[in-house]
Amino acid sequence: MKAMLLKRALQLVTVVWGVGTLTFILMRSLPGDMAYRIAASRYGQDNVNSEAAALVREELSLDQGAFAAYWHWLLDLLQLNLGHSLVSGAPVTEIVNHMLGHSLLLALAGLLVSILIAVPVGLLCAWRGNPLDSVFMGLSSLIRAIPVFVLGVVFILLFALHWNWFPVAGFGTPAHLVLPALTLALSLAAVSNRVVRDSAKHTFQAAFYQFSKVKGLSAWQTFRRHGARNIAVPVVAFFGIQLVSMIEGIVMIESLFSWPGIGHGLAHAIFARDIPVIQGAALVMGILFVALNTLVDMLCLWIDPRGVRQS
Amino acid sequence: MTRTMTRSQWAGLSVLLGLLVFSFMGMVFSPYSISQQDLNAVLDPPSMVHWLGTDHFGRSMFTRMAHAVGLSFALGVLCVVTSSLLGTALGVWAVWGGKKVDHALGVVVNILLALPGLVVVLLFAAIVPGSFWILYLAISLVQWVEYFRVVRAITQNVIESPARQSSHMMGFGRWYQFKRHIWPAIAPSVFTLAAFGGANAILTMASLGFVYVGIQPPLAELGLMTVELFPFYSDAPWLLAQPLVVIALMVFGFHLLAGKRV
Amino acid sequence: MSVLLKLTDVAVYVGDTCLLEPISLELKQGVPLTILGQTGSGKSLLAQAVMGLLPATLSLRGVVEVFGKPLPLSERQSLWGREMVMLPQEPWHALDPLMKGIHQVAEVYQHVQGQSYQQAMAGAAQDLQQVGLADSAHKRPGQLSGGMAQRLAISAATAGGAHVILADEPTKGLDVSRRDGIVRLLQSRSAQGSLLTITHDVAIARQLGGELLVMKEGRLVEQGKAVEVLDHPQDSYTQALIAAEPIAWREVARPSRDQAAETVLMAENIAIARGGRTLFEGVSFSVKKGEVVGVVGDSGCGKSSLGDALLGLLPVSAGKITRSNNTAKPYQWLKLYQDPPSAFTASVSLGTLLNDLVRLHGIAQERIAPLMTRLNLPETLLQRSCLEVSGGELQRFAILRALLLDPVFLFADEPTSRLDPITAKDVTHLLVELARETGCAVLMVSHDPDLVQKTCDQVIAL
Repeated sequence: MKAMLLKRALQLVTVVWGVGTLTFILMRSLPGDMAYRIAASRYGQDNVNSEAAALVREELSLDQGAFAAYWHWLLDLLQLNLGHSLVSGAPVTEIVNHMLGHSLLLALAGLLVSILIAVPVGLLCAWRGNPLDSVFMGLSSLIRAIPVFVLGVVFILLFALHWNWFPVAGFGTPAHLVLPALTLALSLAAVSNRVVRDSAKHTFQAAFYQFSKVKGLSAWQTFRRHGARNIAVPVVAFFGIQLVSMIEGIVMIESLFSWPGIGHGLAHAIFARDIPVIQGAALVMGILFVALNTLVDMLCLWIDPRGVRQS
Repeated sequence: MTRTMTRSQWAGLSVLLGLLVFSFMGMVFSPYSISQQDLNAVLDPPSMVHWLGTDHFGRSMFTRMAHAVGLSFALGVLCVVTSSLLGTALGVWAVWGGKKVDHALGVVVNILLALPGLVVVLLFAAIVPGSFWILYLAISLVQWVEYFRVVRAITQNVIESPARQSSHMMGFGRWYQFKRHIWPAIAPSVFTLAAFGGANAILTMASLGFVYVGIQPPLAELGLMTVELFPFYSDAPWLLAQPLVVIALMVFGFHLLAGKRV
Repeated sequence: MSVLLKLTDVAVYVGDTCLLEPISLELKQGVPLTILGQTGSGKSLLAQAVMGLLPATLSLRGVVEVFGKPLPLSERQSLWGREMVMLPQEPWHALDPLMKGIHQVAEVYQHVQGQSYQQAMAGAAQDLQQVGLADSAHKRPGQLSGGMAQRLAISAATAGGAHVILADEPTKGLDVSRRDGIVRLLQSRSAQGSLLTITHDVAIARQLGGELLVMKEGRLVEQGKAVEVLDHPQDSYTQALIAAEPIAWREVARPSRDQAAETVLMAENIAIARGGRTLFEGVSFSVKKGEVVGVVGDSGCGKSSLGDALLGLLPVSAGKITRSNNTAKPYQWLKLYQDPPSAFTASVSLGTLLNDLVRLHGIAQERIAPLMTRLNLPETLLQRSCLEVSGGELQRFAILRALLLDPVFLFADEPTSRLDPITAKDVTHLLVELARETGCAVLMVSHDPDLVQKTCDQVIAL
């Protein structure tokens, strides 16, 4: 437990350092007079003068040596001094805070629906076997081959533009959540249902599962007492692996559906070269990643107290 | 390897080879270039002149699709070769090189795993916008870790196995031990990882193109083409369908080729 | 004396291929029945068939009568736990790895006997105390030794009140010293009913008494009272099986050491620690040329580690190991492994492996054929991979490879424990003979004191 938390804390430090370093390189590598460009994007092309540029230069320590500037940059980051958006001028903390809520909503909804799909389908496939198994596994291989944004585009074309059941994009009503969450859920469930199925199959064939029935327990009692928990061990551990897909999925889905979350914000900021927002968004995404990983670790430990998850 | 390939693996290979031939034909034999516009013939349906129709600038879709597929394959192959060689070599080295090497590589790997792969690639892509080579670098950097972890875990088992120990005691050198014991054990996993890696590299590039931070216009790239053609979904659905279908086919082909999951 | 279980012409088929030829038997109240046979003799199928646990791909023919009534599969399953129960081969796999031991017993009282949770826990605690597991009640199976896990499994199996117990290799993987306890426990649990045991171990058949059936390749070869069959076996297979028991082996150990022979290796006061625990300390001995030294002890006592340390594969925590023969090359200190398939790579054929060795050390080709004949290895073996030959053949091939290097010292780590008794006897004798002839010293580790007693010139007990 302690070792696990320490490992995650170290990962957090790495995230902060990695994001800080990459965004620093990013800022340095931009062509032209940085300060002038930033001032232009901040105050509008017409209001730029050398005074404004000098102000920006000082604010971002652009005139110092590379190493000093790097140090300054990381220090700012450690104090969560994320600065202001180069585009809108709003404080990055505020922007990111706002985006985080939306992303969490989408992530939780997607995860929940994916569990609701993957667990019953996986268990059913393991329990009934063929032909049901082949049909579902074939279907999930097919969905797995479709990139999440292609899946999203198809959903938009069908359910929003063709049938008009749901809004195309945006945020506001619960109806807006349906398509993005469903896209995320399907792409996650297509992979995790297989893990559930494999784990369940493995457990159903295990000697201890048979022995429980031989001891006199009914099929249901055996499943409840020896099945559920043993099946859950690899499945929960897999959620840890799937977090990567989930966060990557969020970036794509938010961009596609104009969902005002971190992924959408990050992609937009990169396109607009809005470095403070890039940094803030990447940072929060990294922290979210670490936090969710920690949660999965703890869940693993609770389900399987024999040892910490190996990863 | 070919001896043991299943039917679905052959199917995957055929799909990929088919796409490769298509791409090659389009790049070599098409009379049009990817940026040659013909504003008198925009959004044309497929015809004898333009086999796959024309896009909103009247550019030949056949030519553009061929180049886009070629670009995807080039990136996929480069990334697979780089990351598999790097990951495999370092994975074996981590086990054989002693505790210090293992530890140092472990630190590097943990740094790379701290952030989701796509986020790392996005940040790299932001540094040099529209560059193919920065995408290649970033994707390879993210992908070698997967090979490293798998190869290291398997190699660790092989090193401790009686079979390897026995060869060592009978006086066989390291190259022999690698050839007879380690490589046969890791080869299937490396192959599977490579197939999935190819799919992921292509997917990542398309994803970046789709959110407009990858390859930039007027180059043809599958993700980028999807966004560009999306506004014309009702006027010319056959155009939007092309990049979508091809991306799915490429990924599906690689997944079939992989055969099994890791 | 009532008949609890009666099988009439029971056979097992996969498709049209017969795996177990028709067999008839009766299990009577108070008379244990033992089925004796080697691996692959179809004896486990018989137990599965009786319980109704055959995999779906196999089909059962014949009639199974329980308590005097012919019962179809589904009705036999309803007897599980309450009337009859089967003990699994490997207790570690048969116990839920995530559940504490006491709960795995208590759940039977609760769900099968219908007791309250408190009653069930009390009953389970009492059961575990009876089998000496009171201190380990709240451990998970992974924390138990093989013997403890088997006692837990027996407690869990019999908590439902079943008196007809089927035990499939109940002592597999256990040390000799633990076997007796398990057998006695099984006997006491089945005192009110009866016990059907399946084993490859003649000693267990002897200990259990009652009726005995001997099986070979899915066929019944001999049947009768255990005492009679074991003391006066009629069938040649039964005779071979009994003769293969180490206790029945002819003595090949030399009565006294040849003091003149040169010393190969000296171990002085060595100690070995693994994982912070000292396995043994203060062990001293010397090994002479052509001598066979036996090492015995329970599992986990460090007997394999001792051999590895002598080969320099493991460090010693104290003491000194001296190799007296300075002219010997490093590759003349070799090891034979317990599990033959794990000691070979399956990536190429055995012939290729042999060629690799011949080329590396410039071994004369003409030495191979006579040695292969001597080891009873057919030429065709070389075209196959290690997964396509039997364990006995593979272990003999391992001996061939080792001998081609003219070893001065060979550490044989339980080289025959995974082989059938008859094969094990042949391989052990071959190894000892060849070692004597070539002057190679052998350190033979075994869990079986009889085996070591009969074959080794010197015995180290850890």
